[in-house]
Amino acid sequence: MDITATIREYIRETFGIGDDPDFTDDIHLFDYGFVDSLGAIEIVAFVEETFSIEITQRDLTLKPMNTVAEIAGVVAEKI
Amino acid sequence: MLNSCVKLLEQAANRRPDKIAFEDERGGITFKELRDHAKRLGTRLLKRHTGGIQPVLVLLPRSTDVIVSFMGALYSANPYAPVEADIPEARLAKLIENLQPGQIITDAEHLAKVTPYAGDAAVHLFGEAVSGEIDEGAVAGAVNSVIDTDPVYIIYTSGSTGIPKGVTIPHRGVLDFAEWVKETFRFDEDTVLANQAAFYFDNSIFDIYGGLLSCATVKIVPQRLVMVPSKLPDYLFENEVTAIFWVPTVMIGVANSGALSSRKLPKLKTVAFAGEVMPNLQLNIWRREHPDCVYANLYGTTEISDVCTYYIADRPFEDNDPLPIGIACENTRMLILNEQNKLCGPGEQGELCVGGSGVALGYWNAPELTEKVFIQNPINTRYGERIYRTGDLALYSEDGLILFLGRRDSQVKVRGNRIELGEIEAAALCVEGVGNACALFDPEKQEIVLFVGSAADYNPRKFNLALKPYIPNYMLPGRLVTLRELPLTANGKIDRVTLRDTFINGG
Repeated sequence: MDITATIREYIRETFGIGDDPDFTDDIHLFDYGFVDSLGAIEIVAFVEETFSIEITQRDLTLKPMNTVAEIAGVVAEKI
Repeated sequence: MLNSCVKLLEQAANRRPDKIAFEDERGGITFKELRDHAKRLGTRLLKRHTGGIQPVLVLLPRSTDVIVSFMGALYSANPYAPVEADIPEARLAKLIENLQPGQIITDAEHLAKVTPYAGDAAVHLFGEAVSGEIDEGAVAGAVNSVIDTDPVYIIYTSGSTGIPKGVTIPHRGVLDFAEWVKETFRFDEDTVLANQAAFYFDNSIFDIYGGLLSCATVKIVPQRLVMVPSKLPDYLFENEVTAIFWVPTVMIGVANSGALSSRKLPKLKTVAFAGEVMPNLQLNIWRREHPDCVYANLYGTTEISDVCTYYIADRPFEDNDPLPIGIACENTRMLILNEQNKLCGPGEQGELCVGGSGVALGYWNAPELTEKVFIQNPINTRYGERIYRTGDLALYSEDGLILFLGRRDSQVKVRGNRIELGEIEAAALCVEGVGNACALFDPEKQEIVLFVGSAADYNPRKFNLALKPYIPNYMLPGRLVTLRELPLTANGKIDRVTLRDTFINGG
């Protein structure tokens, strides 16, 4: 599974999204209520562990990570 | 003695013009730049000012621009009213209807959202408004016309009827509070604050004015970072932060992440918190990892200039040993009144009431709401002295410290945000197909459970999306229970006890 699919399926499973057609790689996860603010912590912990990378406070500050595609983009840079 | 809070900025800009005052992700702004931008903005506002006190609504994303806008409003001798940039439109409409702002400051991104509700108010784009000339005479004249009992800001808080209440605070309260902050925590030019509180919440008053009075540097923590507490200690280290005043939810997140033990923070001296109860377990983790810091449990409410009691927690508290909220700050008077409006003795539970220079002038454009909770001090029959009934329950311990016990009504705190359950219920009733609604707080899961009576079968996420036009994200329920009909009591009210027992208390 590629990076985007791994993240997408993790979020789908963890936040009980199921087959909601609104859930795309470019939808704002927080604005559209798929993930609450506590969920952000879980997503960061998941990608750090799964891809053996570290998301630093600088990454969080400087790079948008609001969609599946954006999160995958940050991960791809780090691998 | 100062008459306006903007004089704190003037003093700082004279003393340390080139020091960084506030810093966000884009960079820092010096005291002199802040003053000059604010004067340009003040000049612009004064040109459109038509007389009397006319609040300036500030709708901007979290950045140093917000601070410039606040100070610009004060240079025009008007109070500012901050709102969150992502405020739901229906809430913005109600808020503007209550506020009746004279002028509005926003940016290009949010202009379309504001314009339909602006009415007669002049709308300014921030970038343009700080690029004009300064009329020194005009701003000096305006600032000197202010007296310290004039309003400095209006902060909106949740209202149980669904209409937010605009708490109106005088300059004097904030000036006195800033002095208290500086003296209590010995802030000076070497102080670096990491601001976590949003500027539309009163906890940011500590950072803004405590910082200005001390010529300290205030670093605005990016919102995305606040959401991932395990990264916050790195931020504090890299920015050489010496003092924080954070909501316990964030401090708990940092303690639970384990990040405190892997990152030492030699510069950090002051750790203050308020907004909800700080649990002993997590406070002890902070103390264990950073034993040399001063830990301060503060208590306040929007209806007073930020904070009115404090307790320096100079020892570990274990298990059920309650952390006191302590004693009154120097400009405030704390009373605990029983149902007969008499002072409670030690150990006797009553309603916590606040007097002093920081008490709000009232709720903006809402005299009836104001009269209910801002009352004559019943202990003082000799002259007029206003106190605010907080609705919080408290008692004095044997050693004279105030202990906070909880709420008297249906106001709750979720992650430090003050919420009236009635406002959520009012929003739910706006969703198509909802017959009646009841919101309850689940203290164990720390979330709001919303019960709706409806024949429809709502998807919880979609229901939250339907609520979003009416209430901010922090008020959205964590759990939705849809019932054909909500249970009623004998006199026809929603039976909250049955709902709580059946769905929340493990029924």
